[in-house]
Parts: sequence; structure tokens; C-alpha cells
Amino acid sequence: MLVSAILTAGLYVVMSYGLALIYGVMRLINLSHAGTMMLGAFIALTLNRAFHLDPILGSLIVLPLFFGFGVVLYALVVRRIARSAPIVSLLLLFGLWLVLQNVAYLIWGNEDQSIVTPYTYLSLRVGFLSLAVTRLIVFAAGLAALAVLAWFMSSTYTGKAIRAVSLNYEASRLAGINVERISALAFGLGTGLAAFAGSLLTLLFSFTPDFGGVFQTKAFAVIVLGGLTSFVGVAVGSLLLALVESFGVLFIRASLQNLIAFGLLFVALVFMPGGVTSLFLSRRGGRG
Amino acid sequence: MRKFMTSAAVFGLLLAACGGGAPAGAPGASTGPGGAPPAKPSAAASAAAPAASGGASAKPAASAGAQPAASGSVAAAAGADIKLGTVLPITGAFSASGKYFQQGYEMAINEANAAGGIDVGGKKMKIALDLLDDGSNATTSRSLVEKLVTQDKVNALLGGYDTTLVQAQEVVPDQYKIPMVEGGGAASAIFSRGFKYVFGTLQTIDKLGTITMDFLKSEVDQGHLPKPTKIALVWENTDHGKDYQKGIQDYVKANAGLFTVVLDQSFELNGTDFTALLTQVKSSNADVFLSDAHLPDYITMHRQYTQQGLSHKLVSYAARGPDQKAREALVPTADYLVAGLWWSPELPDPKSQKFAADYKAKYNATADWFQALAYDTARVMFAAMTKAGSLDGTKVRDALAGLEFKDTILPGGVLKFEADGRPNTPYLMVQNLPDNAAQIIWPKDIPGFKPATVPMKK
Repeated sequence: MLVSAILTAGLYVVMSYGLALIYGVMRLINLSHAGTMMLGAFIALTLNRAFHLDPILGSLIVLPLFFGFGVVLYALVVRRIARSAPIVSLLLLFGLWLVLQNVAYLIWGNEDQSIVTPYTYLSLRVGFLSLAVTRLIVFAAGLAALAVLAWFMSSTYTGKAIRAVSLNYEASRLAGINVERISALAFGLGTGLAAFAGSLLTLLFSFTPDFGGVFQTKAFAVIVLGGLTSFVGVAVGSLLLALVESFGVLFIRASLQNLIAFGLLFVALVFMPGGVTSLFLSRRGGRG
Repeated sequence: MRKFMTSAAVFGLLLAACGGGAPAGAPGASTGPGGAPPAKPSAAASAAAPAASGGASAKPAASAGAQPAASGSVAAAAGADIKLGTVLPITGAFSASGKYFQQGYEMAINEANAAGGIDVGGKKMKIALDLLDDGSNATTSRSLVEKLVTQDKVNALLGGYDTTLVQAQEVVPDQYKIPMVEGGGAASAIFSRGFKYVFGTLQTIDKLGTITMDFLKSEVDQGHLPKPTKIALVWENTDHGKDYQKGIQDYVKANAGLFTVVLDQSFELNGTDFTALLTQVKSSNADVFLSDAHLPDYITMHRQYTQQGLSHKLVSYAARGPDQKAREALVPTADYLVAGLWWSPELPDPKSQKFAADYKAKYNATADWFQALAYDTARVMFAAMTKAGSLDGTKVRDALAGLEFKDTILPGGVLKFEADGRPNTPYLMVQNLPDNAAQIIWPKDIPGFKPATVPMKK
């Protein structure tokens, strides 16, 4: 059960980075995150059907494609409301989710779709454990994305600028950072990561244009648990949610599993709004 | 942080407003006599899923808020003498099953219209179907059924799919004294609310639990399963699932020593991740895995079941097994699964074979029980109208109550309704075989019976 929880955490990590990045830089809750994940899944499906492209390779194509889509979306729409009251951006992005969903209905219809690869049903035997190859792939992708993002944020000028804007928007602007450009890049990267996650999720789930709603809620819980802006926090939040969900079914009915995410969200918002990582930081005398 | 808290509150409200997911669109379709030409979709339809397939015509969409459908549906029905109304999940979680029901209804209507219509009081009357899409949403479903009755003035109602949506719909017929026959809801609770205008062609789920256990008992008796057989039982947290669980548990209690339930867990309908639940199933060391799941959950759960390397001597997803959509998604991993069904294309009687062949010819696919039940649901309504000699709601209702429908394709050969509206028809059990085949494995006295492969081949 522990191993299963860790693999599930990998899944949550992959789908939460994009949400955390956009919130970190722009203080926007991207309600179109689910729609982008869903579109990423359908693009992976189309690539698979048209060119027999494996979803893993498909996800690597989807990532830059949706990065561009996100940048364009930012320039045309999101930029105009980026500094508005929260309700404005929430409604706009919620509307965008509905538009994306209906576009998918028109293009792909409403039937359950799934991608079956030669390794879809393969498992790896490790002692008495049987590990689904697809889950291992998604887990590895989560770790790889974390490593790349950590490197990008700490070793490149753009990454450092993103971190700076995330910490203090006004001070960054005064320091000469082109915050508009950084915001566009962050929104593009967040959108790309969401679509990347959607493509990878096709390895695990069947999907329709309704796909992504539950995952979006869980991603939201994850980033709140993780402290909203930290990628390491996202990983910690993912692990915490996956562990509580997995072991929670020992004590409550599995039908109430989604309640756990909402419960954790509530607890985090009320008792540790800075996330789990803030507890560790404050104990070490760091920034809370 | 205050800004974030405000955002979080609005986020929660938005999610609550759409039930945790985005609201579905509600396009419709209308089948007129002889296949009426499609009504031109309105601008609103462009924001919704196309509902039509296999002869249905696209109809202007209603919004998710159950806005009145544009006149397209009524126009398509204008040339007909009888207007039947139905609200189906053409979009959303149950869209695949909803479309199967649409196909079954259309086959029955087209067949009747091709024969010149049905005889009502000595006059041949043609039929049109007014179909609306509830997006798999129960609240929308109930509103749209009411709209069919009050605005579209349909003569009778054909039910939706699944149990939760039928339960939402079933309050309307008695209110307006319009009869409804449904073949998509099987929870016994549908028939325990005292409604007089609701009839079902789908045998209730508690009896599915019973026949499944009858079959398991025969396998224990033959030595194919150990004694006692350890059962891991999981069920969707709906009346459908509760009926199944009760049927299994009651049987186990009545047959002490033969079976032990080592896990009894519910799960959320339309779930996305069953990993934790399946880990519990694995830990239970059961011989048999029984799960009551709808089609999307069956596909997701069995995919994850296989990926987690689970294996049992026998696996059943209750009424799911040979469903074509699932077999496409699950490929060989669905082989040897066992299912309790209301109809199967493996039934050798001529009427079933003709239906299966007609369906194959029209849709180039193998018929499942969904289409067969929808087909018979519509035909039993026609038979009641003929028997009543009138389209009056109360007279058709009375005719349904006393009907003996001998032209049925369902097992048993005669479809009758009990006093509470549930049908008398029996279940049959089938087992998936390689190459998308299936065979009837229970009861022993049913035509086409062949012994099951237990334990399942890996």
C-alpha cells in the first residue's frame, strides 16, 4: 500500500506543477487546468491514432505545443485580467474550461476513449510486489519534471526571474525584470505542463471531454498542502495526499475517498495556509 | 493570502455549481417517422456534443440548465401520430450507454413505422421520438422529462439510463399521468416508491446478486472453487450497488459454510482511481472478485486491476462483461470475465438472432443488452397502446399493468409486469471468450448453455 501511495503521488505531482507555477507567478487559480489536461490527452490520442505515436512521445510533443498555446492565451486573454479581482480571473478561466470542453465534444465526440499500448497491461515483479509499468512511467516523469524544473528555476536567468516574480511582483518590476514576459512564460509553461500531464494520464485512465475535473480538485489540494508556490512543496503535498487517501480507505469507505482531498484542503486552508512545507521552515526559523 | 482564500471560496462554489466537473451540454436528437430529415442545428448546438448517430438527426441544443429545446424536435415529430419522449445521457459519463439506448429505441420505432405504424383503435399510427440529452445529470434529467410532458406534449415516455437518472425521472409520470416504460434502471428502489405509471423491463439488481451466487454455488459443488470460497465484494455507492451487495450478502448468509465475504467495500460512481481499493482487494486474498460497476468504472477498474497484477479464480463486474466498448479498451484482459445479463446476442432463439443481425447490419457492431432492452422497452409500449386502443395516458398505463408481451426478445419469452412495475424476466450469465466471443454459462436449462471455464484462464 505504501508503494502504491508513492506511485499515486507521482501521478499527483505531474498534474499539479502547472497549477502551482501559474499561481506562484500570477496569483491566478487556473480553472482551465482540467480543460488543458483533457486537451493534452486528446492530442496524445490523435497522435497515437494518426501516427501510432506512443503517449510518452506524444507528451513530449504536447508540452511545447501547449506552451505556445498558453503564451498566446496569455497575450490575448489572461493578460487583461491578470491583476483584476480574483472573481474575474476565476470566471474567465472557468469559462475557458467550458469552451475547451465543448471544443473537444465537437472534435472527438463524447465516447470514452483509451489508448492501449504494448505495455498498458504489463507489470513489473519486485519480490512480492507487482508494479504497473504505466504507473512507474508516470512516476518517473514526475521525478524528471521536478528535476528539470528545479534546475531551470535555479540555474537559468528566466527561472530565477520567475522565482523573483513569484516572491515579489512589484519588487521584481522595479529591479528591471520584464514581468509581463515572465508572466507569459509562466502561463505558457503551466499550460504546457498541464497538457503534458494529461497526455501521460492516458496511460492510466480512459477519458472523455469531461476528463480532469476530479484531478483538478486534487491538484488544488496538493498545491495548497505544498504551500502554493513551491515545487518541492508540490511533491510533499502530493505524497501527503496519496498517503492519506491510500491508508484512509482502511478506515473509511472507498466511496468517500474524494472527501479526503477536500478534508485535507480544509485543514490546510484553516490551520496551515502556508502549506506543510511552511511548518518545516518555521521550525527551522525560516520563512513561514 | 486573503486573496487566495477568496479565490478558494469561489473555486469551491464553482465546483459545487457544476457537481465537481463541468456541466454537460444538452443536445438532442429526433427521429421522425421514416427517418425525418434533420432539423438545422441552432447556433447553440455548436457548443454542445453532436448527439446523433445511426439515423438520428441533430436537434438544436438545450443548455445544461434544461432550457426548452427549439422547435426542431416537435417539427420532426409533426408528421407522426404518436410522440414518444425520452431523456437519455447522450453526453457525460453514461454517454456510451445512452447512445446504445438511442439506437435501440430508433430500431423499434423505425421497424414499426416501416410496417405502416402501430395499430391504435383500428388506425395505423406512425411514431416519432422526441429525444433530449441530460448530460448524465440527474437534476437536468428530471427537468427535461417534465419539459417533454408539459411543453412537447408527448403521449408516453421511454426511460433513460442509468438507475440514478431513472430515479430522478420517475417522479414525473405519476404527476402528469403519462406512462413510462424504462429499461435502464434496475435498482429495486425504483419500484418501491409506489408509482403507478412507471414500468421496468430491466430485472432488479438484487436478483442479479442471487443468480451470480447460484452460479458460484454450482461451481463450488463441481469442485471448481474451494469450499468455502472467499469473496472480495466491491460495489458502487448507489441503490444499484446496494441492491447487488444485499443480494450477495443475503445469499452468503443463507448458505453458511459455502462462502465467506472477506472484503465488502463501496466505491464512488464514475471514479478515476481505484488503486487504493484494489490494493485492499489484493490484501484480502480472495478466491473470487465481485464488483458491481457501470461501464466507465468497469473499464477503469479492470484496467487498474490488471496493471496491479491482481488475479482471481473468477472475476465478475456484475452486469458488465461483454460490452463492446469495454472489450475494445481492455482487449484480452477482459477474456473469461463473467457477467449477469438481461439479454445476450448468444441467445439462440430466432427473435434474438434477428435483432442481433438487424443491429449488426445497421450499425456494423455487435449488439449488447443495452440496445436489446431499449428495443423491447419501446415495443412493449407499442403493444400497450395497441391493447389500450387509445393514447390516453391512464388507459395505456392500465394496459401495461395487465400486458403479456409474447413478442419479447428477453429470456423467458413472455414479459409481464408485477404489481409494483418490475418485470418478471430472468437473468442469464455469460462468460467472455477470446476473440470478442462470449457464451451462455448459466442457468443450465437455458438454450445455448455451455459450461463455464472456472478457474479463469490467465
